[in-house]
Amino acid sequence: MALKGLDIFKLSPKKNCKECGSPTCMAFCMKVAQGALPIDKCPYFSDEAKAMLNEQTAPPMKTITVGEHKLGGETVLFRHEKTLVNKNLFAITLSTDMTQAQVDAQLSEMAKIDYERIGERMYVEFILCANTQSDPAVYTKLVEKAAASGRDLILECWDVECAKAALAVAGKGVILDGATPDNWEAMNAAATAAGVTLGVWAENLSDLYDTVKKLEGAGNKNLVLDVTGKTAKETLANAVFVRRTALKDGDRTMGYPSIVNVGRIAKGDSHLQTAYASMFVEKYGSIIVLEQMHYSQALPLYGLRQNIFTDPQKPMKVESKIYPLNGADENSPCCLTVDFALTYFLVSGELERSNEPVNLIISDASGMSVLTAWAAGKFSSTSIKKTIEELDVENKIKNRTLIIPGKVAVMKGEIQEKLPNWNVVVGTMEAVQIPKYMKDKEYEAAAKAAAAEAAAKAATAPKEEVKELTFEELLETKVPKIEVVDMGVHYKGHNPESKTFVTIGERIHCISPSIRKAMDERDPAPILKRAAEQIAAGATYLDVNIGPAEKDGPERMMWAVKLLQENFDNVPLALDTANKKAIEAGIKVYNRTNGKPIVNSADAGSRISNIDLAAANDAICIALCSADGIAKDNEERMKHCHNMLERGLSLGMTSDDLWFDPLFLVVKGMQDKQMDVLNAIKMFADEGLKSTGGLSNNSNGAPKLVRPIMDSALVAMAMMQGLTSAIVNPCDLRLMETIKSCDIFKNHVLYSDSYLEL
Amino acid sequence: MSFVPKKQPFNGKINAVTLGTGDKAIVIGGQNVLPFYTFDAPIENAPKIGVEISDAAGEWTSAGLKDFYAGCTTMADYAQRAETMEGADFLCLHFESADPNGANRSVEDCVADAKAVADAVSMPIVIMGCKNIEKDGELFSKIAEALQGKNILVLSARAEDYKTVGASVALAYGQKVGAETADDINLAKQLNIMLKGLTVPSQSIIMNIGTAAVGYGYEYVASTLDRVRAAALAQSDADLQMPIIAPVSPDTWGVKESTASEEDEPAWGNVEERAVDMEVSTAAADLTGGADAVILRHPAAVAAVKRFITALV
Repeated sequence: MALKGLDIFKLSPKKNCKECGSPTCMAFCMKVAQGALPIDKCPYFSDEAKAMLNEQTAPPMKTITVGEHKLGGETVLFRHEKTLVNKNLFAITLSTDMTQAQVDAQLSEMAKIDYERIGERMYVEFILCANTQSDPAVYTKLVEKAAASGRDLILECWDVECAKAALAVAGKGVILDGATPDNWEAMNAAATAAGVTLGVWAENLSDLYDTVKKLEGAGNKNLVLDVTGKTAKETLANAVFVRRTALKDGDRTMGYPSIVNVGRIAKGDSHLQTAYASMFVEKYGSIIVLEQMHYSQALPLYGLRQNIFTDPQKPMKVESKIYPLNGADENSPCCLTVDFALTYFLVSGELERSNEPVNLIISDASGMSVLTAWAAGKFSSTSIKKTIEELDVENKIKNRTLIIPGKVAVMKGEIQEKLPNWNVVVGTMEAVQIPKYMKDKEYEAAAKAAAAEAAAKAATAPKEEVKELTFEELLETKVPKIEVVDMGVHYKGHNPESKTFVTIGERIHCISPSIRKAMDERDPAPILKRAAEQIAAGATYLDVNIGPAEKDGPERMMWAVKLLQENFDNVPLALDTANKKAIEAGIKVYNRTNGKPIVNSADAGSRISNIDLAAANDAICIALCSADGIAKDNEERMKHCHNMLERGLSLGMTSDDLWFDPLFLVVKGMQDKQMDVLNAIKMFADEGLKSTGGLSNNSNGAPKLVRPIMDSALVAMAMMQGLTSAIVNPCDLRLMETIKSCDIFKNHVLYSDSYLEL
Repeated sequence: MSFVPKKQPFNGKINAVTLGTGDKAIVIGGQNVLPFYTFDAPIENAPKIGVEISDAAGEWTSAGLKDFYAGCTTMADYAQRAETMEGADFLCLHFESADPNGANRSVEDCVADAKAVADAVSMPIVIMGCKNIEKDGELFSKIAEALQGKNILVLSARAEDYKTVGASVALAYGQKVGAETADDINLAKQLNIMLKGLTVPSQSIIMNIGTAAVGYGYEYVASTLDRVRAAALAQSDADLQMPIIAPVSPDTWGVKESTASEEDEPAWGNVEERAVDMEVSTAAADLTGGADAVILRHPAAVAAVKRFITALV
């Protein structure tokens, strides 16, 4: 039974006394939920609370395991509310009414359907063996045959003797779909003795409910409910009422997975079965039984199921590999993009429309889109080189033209350098332009040019000795001297002990073309301008995002840190890049007069080691409460939070130096998750933890005039919940005035008539 | 009885919108429950099925379609035949050949076709454009004018062209207008607000909130349908209470499952069956999520989806 840490926390003493050995009550409760600590470790949990826990924390719908498959365990009625957990499974029907030949034909047709679609095996998971007679030998023969196929079985059988005989030969993954209001005791005994799941069916929901109660009373909670009615209408009503009663009304008697037999309500009509099955994929069929599964039905049904059961918070990924399109062979050019499923479908679709043979190479980018992956350092010259090597592209394909997405044209040089045997060509900005681009063979000329350029370079430039420089050497030889320009703007200083809200100015970011260019050319003016604006507007910290900066990250960051601090009275900075060496280099030259440097950022997944980096360098670390993808609920957010908290503390950090980021979500798209984020901030605050985050993400895509209003309202709500910092645009006057006003109400600053001007 | 199911009708209600005139006129929408939840409250108007007829229908390769339309040459021929299709409620004329980047048929030719169809049939007519904003703008306006009094639905007004399409189709010629967005509930609401801002009556708007074939990012369609219906019914959001139409066939007939030949995909079996099951499955999923009307192509799919609807309402 999955206990939820947050539910336990509600009943906990909330003393944070540390007597249990955990830093906070919440941390303790999380451990209890994971089974890592017994609840008795806490001397203050009342017996009453412990008893209530058992009662209250039972999930509304049980997860039933049959063979290797899991059924049920759902917590929401609609996928957008959170996520659907266990996908529907499909069954075909064999019956004692069928001839031997019919049975064989069914089984061989079924066996044909076994393929992979976006990393998922698609096949018929169950065979339903319907018994329509009373001779155990006849039924046993059918069941033996079905069991030999290796699929799990549903024994639809109301005859106790037949059921017992069949169970003896049926193997392991079995549902005995045979209990009715009349025979439930005998069937229960048979199922329990065989250790299999029992299916319950009744004429109407009231009888079904009573029978489940009786079975539960007899100690059997390993059940599934066969909700198939006499008609489709009745079956839908049953499926909806059962699920709704469990999840919405909280009556766990109905909290079991369902079997829906569309073969029975649409006998002999395969198209209608396709339609019903599609409906029950969305509306609550845990196992959907068809008479037969034709390939033409499998294709849409499995596609639909895969879509519906995609976690709305986790991007769908396709496998990183070479996809030869339009009959491409080793002499066809290569196109490269990321593994985000939508990108893949779009790009491969357009490439197919071009009718030009091409090898589409998909690079692992954690399922992010091209630009997002690039900004997060997941789609870089290094990752691309790795893909080319891991997929053994150079041995499989002779053509050396590599077309990269137009949106990451900036990487061309780096990729060319890492893959000197290739001719790297910049493709189109948008997928719709692909067919024309491919048909016109624009890339051929570009590839030639790239080859010529590389040859010329090889001829003129002697190969440089590649030697890794120390930070001191880098500073000495690679970082240009900083010229201090008085812009009339001065940083007013910052007291790290102050409780006032910390704003981290977000305007120096490589996603802005002018900043990117300035960073590339080491041109101080555009960077200083943005820094001056933000400081004048009252930013506490400035964020410095230098982009993925794979090649020259350390020297870039050193330059940027020195540039900003020397010009602006040692303004404190957040160092923001996926390149760890660059952060380290930045800290080496960082002046701590106005506060420690901030490492932006670590997460509970692949970037967790940034906590180690912060710990080793006595820096503050922004800790994103996510691993891959957005946390699906606060249970997960808090789990990530405590993982990172513990890691930091074990490395000698103080909890004050970990600033937890709940990940602000965009209202246009995730409106119903905003309160979750705000509640997470409250949970951080209740544990005395600091928090921050990219607050303005909430208003992404909203009209320019509206954004400051939304941001201000949200910051006020978030500060009420205990938010201690945010990464914001300090030039947003309304937002900054709201923050200052909230600091007054929170009694962090003493009021004076001119508090806004301070 | 120990178990009494709790019924959940809503206070919010989907607008009932009439298309066409006379005996064959249809009403779309009008319910205050989730799709097919007849156990919560009765559903007066069953979802409707439109048959897609394209001005490029001559290029259709499906044997079933060729058989059904055998001998048809003009769009009016096709339309008359389509009216006899079992399960058809309305006709959808798809002017895909108008695309300037394709066959670039003239607006005059398209209007003449639309008029000929309107004269020959009695079922309600829905017009679908070629997706080229400029051409569609002209086409929609001219067809809406030519078919005045027929109470047609024009698909669609988009964020880019809602002003011209809304003003001509709905305001000048009194037809119904589709509001098309792509899997974005906020934009769907905004577009309805903007159309209403032009003084287009709510009762003249039908939404197309985005479509996809099942397996092709359909989760976005499913969740948008769920969320639009939740807003319309549970929150009584008048700006999202318009009925929904889902053009299924233009998506499903374009995906590999429906087009790959039996030589290319020998394991997949009969291509016609695949195309039909793709249409049926996508339509059933759309209707389950909240579509009040679907547009289909194949007679077998139309018949199957009709059986599906009839059994459930």
